[in-house]
Amino acid sequence: MSEPVVEIADASFGYGGAPVLSGVSFEVRAGEAVALIGPNGAGKSTLLAGLLGLAQHEARVFRVPAARGEIGTLPQSSEIDPAFPVTLEQVVAMGRTPRLGLKWPGRADRRIVAEAIEAVGLTEHRGTRFGDLSGGQRQRALLARALAGEPRLLLLDEPFNGLDHGSRDALLETVRRLKAQGVALLITTHDLDLARAVCDRTLLVNGRQIAFDETGCVLTLERVEAAFASHVMEIDGHTLATTEHHAAAHGAHHHHVLQDDGAAGAEHR
Amino acid sequence: MTPTAALIDPFTPFSVPFMGRPLLLLVALAIAAGTVGVLVNLRRLEFSTDGLTHAVFPGLVVGATLGGAAGLMPGAIGAAVVAAVVLALISRRGQPRDTAVAIVLTSFFSLGVVLVSGSGGATGSLSDFFFGRLLTITWADLGLSLALIGVAVLLVVLTARPQLYAAFDPAGARRAGLPVLVLEVVGTVAVALVVVAASASVGTLLALAVVIVPTAAARALTRSLAAAAVVAIAFGAATGWLGLWAVVQLAVLGVDVAPGATVALTMIVGYLAALAIGHLRGTSTRHSAIASSAGAAS
Amino acid sequence: MTLDFFSRALLEVTLAGALAGLVGVLVVLRERAFFTMSLTHATFPGAVAAAMLGVSIPLGAAVAAVALVAIAVGIGRIRSQGPAVASGIMLTAGFALGALLQSLSPLAIDVESFLIGQVLAVTGADIALTAVLLAVAIVVWAIAGPHLVFSSADEGGYRRAGMRPWIPEAVALALIAATVVAIMPVVGAILGVALIVAPAAAARLVVRDWRAMLVVAPLIAIASGVLGLVASRWLELAAGGAIALVAAAFYGLAWLWAEAARRPRGTIETRTPWRTTP
Repeated sequence: MSEPVVEIADASFGYGGAPVLSGVSFEVRAGEAVALIGPNGAGKSTLLAGLLGLAQHEARVFRVPAARGEIGTLPQSSEIDPAFPVTLEQVVAMGRTPRLGLKWPGRADRRIVAEAIEAVGLTEHRGTRFGDLSGGQRQRALLARALAGEPRLLLLDEPFNGLDHGSRDALLETVRRLKAQGVALLITTHDLDLARAVCDRTLLVNGRQIAFDETGCVLTLERVEAAFASHVMEIDGHTLATTEHHAAAHGAHHHHVLQDDGAAGAEHR
Repeated sequence: MTPTAALIDPFTPFSVPFMGRPLLLLVALAIAAGTVGVLVNLRRLEFSTDGLTHAVFPGLVVGATLGGAAGLMPGAIGAAVVAAVVLALISRRGQPRDTAVAIVLTSFFSLGVVLVSGSGGATGSLSDFFFGRLLTITWADLGLSLALIGVAVLLVVLTARPQLYAAFDPAGARRAGLPVLVLEVVGTVAVALVVVAASASVGTLLALAVVIVPTAAARALTRSLAAAAVVAIAFGAATGWLGLWAVVQLAVLGVDVAPGATVALTMIVGYLAALAIGHLRGTSTRHSAIASSAGAAS
Repeated sequence: MTLDFFSRALLEVTLAGALAGLVGVLVVLRERAFFTMSLTHATFPGAVAAAMLGVSIPLGAAVAAVALVAIAVGIGRIRSQGPAVASGIMLTAGFALGALLQSLSPLAIDVESFLIGQVLAVTGADIALTAVLLAVAIVVWAIAGPHLVFSSADEGGYRRAGMRPWIPEAVALALIAATVVAIMPVVGAILGVALIVAPAAAARLVVRDWRAMLVVAPLIAIASGVLGLVASRWLELAAGGAIALVAAAFYGLAWLWAEAARRPRGTIETRTPWRTTP
């Protein structure tokens, strides 16, 4: 088995005050994808911020890649002003700046940027202004930006949100390829089927760690209920674990909602 | 009265009418500070206010050329309205608001400068425009300024509730069916009226100081909006009075300082004191719901 | 080398235009126009005090600017105040303090030359200072350009990539402040801001690439300076005002051009920060 890129034991994460998430122990190996699953407010984003050093942590073991550019991130949505005068290629090239520092990009850097753009299938758009891309294309461009840093660890925050079927399959394919290249991935998602499709292990959290194991073992009805206090549903054949907020937004697609007996399930772990 | 008594007596100077008039105007501006100023603070309109103060300048030049002293006010109002419309137009077209304001500000002001130089007009007007003639304000000027300030205050008070909603959460206000654009225009017009009222009498510097500083001081001291409005009015009136008093005392000592600048600086000093007090009491460092939601909305 | 006053003015507006254009890209991309405007006012008391004391005016302006910027940065970090209030306070305080000093010594620097400058009275030292800063601006853009743009476009992403956003921020503010101090005594506050903001904003409207902005913005600024100066000579208008109006006219043209070239695009961006749903 390959060596772990991330190794966390008995960790809690927060922003000053009381910890948002505690009792966390997990690892991500090179070439492995780990799903990070939990309801809104469970502390997923705090955990990601903690791995990046942007939230505080306390831990017995805390090993993450520390060198610049070794962690790539894909945010839930772009924070770049659509009117900002940057082309797609320039956005992707930003991903090289942590490794370059103040050096000028060389031929190798330009090749890496071109490959990253190709990996997300946007080569023909590389001269397009970022703001003129569609939402899905922007998301792919930001993924390419993360790839351009040649990360050892990639943090994807809800990468499947709002993607159509084609983009979703393309993204799954990219994730598989990255795994084959030995990149460690940590992926937050509400879509349990996608987690099953591509993630080897799953970390289930809700304020504290509920489970960390092989995806198939973790994503049992009992444990998911424990984490989500019953908001699990299906949309278009995908099982989604969700919260009131999403349930309201997708109310029309509700196929079945499981009843709340989560508290008891949460106890026995 | 002995000279020493005059130095400490804070009231006697204002018994003469030419000191009473500026004081009255400053009190009116203080009321504007607690209403229009609060709106400016919540909506982050500080730069727009500065832009309006400069944009009024060509209007004053044109007004003075066409109608002499009587043309000042109509010219100023006209220029303020045009500037407000241009501002709204540019900022709705994808340019950062900041950039749009800077361009409107510099181009309007330059137009005024070019007009002055083209007509070979008086060069003293620029200084008057900024620092005004606080101590030599006439009853006619005062009346007009008070009327304009009154309208501005009324506009803000009447639309207070929806204005607050739109300031905190523009998207939510739009969804709730509020006429956000109209509210924005009403708010900007209110600011413009205060600017015009001040620029034709006491100078734009004081307009800027009055709209920005008292509310900022009040926000450092208070946590609720209603309290902030009250404190801003009290702060504006107190610092205005103190500033005037300082001008008089310095004149007695033979130092002839710019009155508008002195009053504005008194407000700044008061503001720094308010910051210090707020810091000591810890109100400004603790999480404030107003601050965080206004920050998120901007 | 001796030049007549008009040639010197032409040389200065060319250099100042190139400098303002380059720094203006930074101002526009980072949305720092209000800060720049406030900064021009913050230099005023320093310039007046320096004139009263008989020391170098840019030096006095720089000292005052640094002092007021330090105070403003402190105010901007207070939760109940924020950066917009801080800029407003800096502007009001600078202007009031300058006016007060000026009223104590009316001959020091008058408000008019502070606002619209005396480009026809430019000295060799002014030109040299502008040229040096132009070189500095070119070097900064060449070395740190990608960092400046990355942190401007996506500060959160820059931080998540393991880099510290305050470094490009400090570099940007220092460059803006130095530019304001260098060109203010010559071109004045209003013209200074016009030359910094309008050409860069115009460039932003017509190109989609920040590198192109770095070429287009200085060109527009230089053209504004030269055209405005020549027009002011022919029509006997105030040079500073004429230059600023030409710059604004260029912006207007760019705006019309962009409107005409605009493809219908109805996307409303929802800018969700990464950590809103922890």
